[in-house]
Amino acid sequence: MNMIVCVKQVPDPEVPPAKFRIDAKTKQVMPPEGIPPVINPFDERALELALRLKDAYGGKITVLTMGSAKSESVVKRGISMGADDGFVLSDPSFQDSDSFGTAHILAAAIQKIGNYDLILCGRQASDWDEGVVGSIIAENLSLPFIALALAIEAADKALKVKRVTTDGYQVFSVPVPAMVTVCWDVGRPRLPSGSGVIMAARKKIPVWSAADIGVDAGQVGKGAARKEAAELSRREWARKCEIIQAETPDEAGTKLAEKLREVGAF
Amino acid sequence: MERFDAIVVGGGPAGCASAYVMAKAGLNVLLFERGKFAGAKNMWGGAFFGPQLNELIPEFWKEAPVERFVTRHVLSFMAENGSTSLDFKSTRFCAAPYNGFILLRAKFDGWMAQKVEQAGAIVAAGMRVDDLLFQEGRVSGVKVGDEEFPSDIVILADGVNSLLAKKAGLRSDFLPEDMKQGVKEVIELPRETIEQRFNLVNDEGAAIEFVGTCTRGLPGGGFLYTNKNSLSLGLVIELGSLVKSKLKASDLLEEFKHHPDISRLIEGGRTVEYSAHLIPCSGLAMMPKLATGGALVTGDAAALLLGTGLILEGANFAIASGMAAAQTALEAKEKNDFSAGSLSRYEQLLKESFVLQDLNTFRGAPAFLKNRRIYELYPELAFEIFEAIFQSDGMPRKGTLQVVKEIIKRRTSMISIVSDLWKARKAI
Repeated sequence: MNMIVCVKQVPDPEVPPAKFRIDAKTKQVMPPEGIPPVINPFDERALELALRLKDAYGGKITVLTMGSAKSESVVKRGISMGADDGFVLSDPSFQDSDSFGTAHILAAAIQKIGNYDLILCGRQASDWDEGVVGSIIAENLSLPFIALALAIEAADKALKVKRVTTDGYQVFSVPVPAMVTVCWDVGRPRLPSGSGVIMAARKKIPVWSAADIGVDAGQVGKGAARKEAAELSRREWARKCEIIQAETPDEAGTKLAEKLREVGAF
Repeated sequence: MERFDAIVVGGGPAGCASAYVMAKAGLNVLLFERGKFAGAKNMWGGAFFGPQLNELIPEFWKEAPVERFVTRHVLSFMAENGSTSLDFKSTRFCAAPYNGFILLRAKFDGWMAQKVEQAGAIVAAGMRVDDLLFQEGRVSGVKVGDEEFPSDIVILADGVNSLLAKKAGLRSDFLPEDMKQGVKEVIELPRETIEQRFNLVNDEGAAIEFVGTCTRGLPGGGFLYTNKNSLSLGLVIELGSLVKSKLKASDLLEEFKHHPDISRLIEGGRTVEYSAHLIPCSGLAMMPKLATGGALVTGDAAALLLGTGLILEGANFAIASGMAAAQTALEAKEKNDFSAGSLSRYEQLLKESFVLQDLNTFRGAPAFLKNRRIYELYPELAFEIFEAIFQSDGMPRKGTLQVVKEIIKRRTSMISIVSDLWKARKAI
């Protein structure tokens, strides 16, 4: 089975929110310096599902990302986990694309790669949490689309896709090629092997520009975006320490309880 | 499995320095880092002396993520009701080649690992080396999970609690008395506020060290370094005494933040990071065997850290030892001899450099610095003396020497001070 997995490079979601800054002018979330971005954890689960399919049926996995030249780290992550190949899509005209622009770019690259049975991506990206790129790719390529897949079985030019709902499961049958987004519940993605990391470190990842994949700059980027961020805010979080002085544990406990009531903790 | 010329375990200053030198010389080098990225798990106070790094990467300050250059050093003795400080500024310290640098580890180690990759080595982050491979009684590579990676030499730069140095039979267990615990908060403040509060301009930085009540008299001290947009504030306390007194370093750090000298410096700041780490502090007394067949130990893993009371230096010792280990590996490669005998060259190189010479010069310091009077008595004594000198109480003034004598007599004895000074003369 030939699979293409679309992955996104995102600021590390494990970094505490307090370390992020919001640039009010550009409406951008600024991650802290020195902490490298990572593969979107939802996409990493899509990659895991692809690797399970490869383990079961054989085939080839190609990892695709759109971003800057530095985004090759997430393609390499995929290769270190067991994917076969990968490409970075990067062009100044791609910058600030909305979901439609991004899907347009990814779909163009998918067509260039060609010969695919299944396209996978995570249910959403952990930075903007919109979760629509997968469905727009399906629309652009006129493919059947299933969201929130938990498991996939291959059966003679068709796929049986099990998807999660709030109260249970649904199983759909779709012809290939198909576009599927993957839910969180597939479980923890495998860790890269040492030899995988070495192989990925040495692999040259090609960077495709707009011209390479035949994307018209007018259809992507900020100019083509169908919406614009108007305001960003974050829940403020503060830590305050007061040291309670007391002679006995009883007294300390009472004083603590009084203090907690005073600040409205209960 | 492919055979590497050298495998380095640990992506801190020691590991990166050795991998960088070996890769630049054309060796096939693989560096394993346990953290998600180099710098993810590493910690220091924040001030760093530059000569070794300048030797490794000339004029590194032009590209390294330096926060500020240290131009102001303050040593402050904290007493219950105030403090006595020595404030040193040098205009010479704010021009190349500078002297002290303030850096944040996540950025600095990431930068060093990038240099290692550019030199041609492979940096494999997020990989924990679980064990060493042995062949004919010599270290012959490493094991990561079920995977084996053979190599001619393994450089252990896996930090203070080096389990691999133990597995290689190079060290025995440490005692809590051999360790200090460092705890630190990074507190964000606007750049202009920092420059106003600490009397700095442009890239100037302040390094402030505290001795006294901040550790409740336990051996150790406090520190405050100015980053670009934040302050690094922390404590370093001997672990054995913390355990004995049932105190927690994190609680003492909160107390430290409430001290009037500190609270006004950090006012309005937002804590964005908390970290803690162990620091090997018994010097030569805890130093493991540095070499065995097929392996060398560097940096914190080899307890190569100098604490003189006024200075706590580790990172430049780490870099120097990493460079010496790399040189040893290159010479061994030339002779194709990685036996213990051949690798004993490493210790010889360290003896010729400042690394073992400094540790030898200050070999008495670790024991001397356990003297509780340094932390409990002397900061109070200094405070009382200056308070008496500056105070005007309407009574006829006494001669300064008389004041000093009276206070010393009340708090301690001249004999014990002379004895401490005598010990200090020899130790530091």
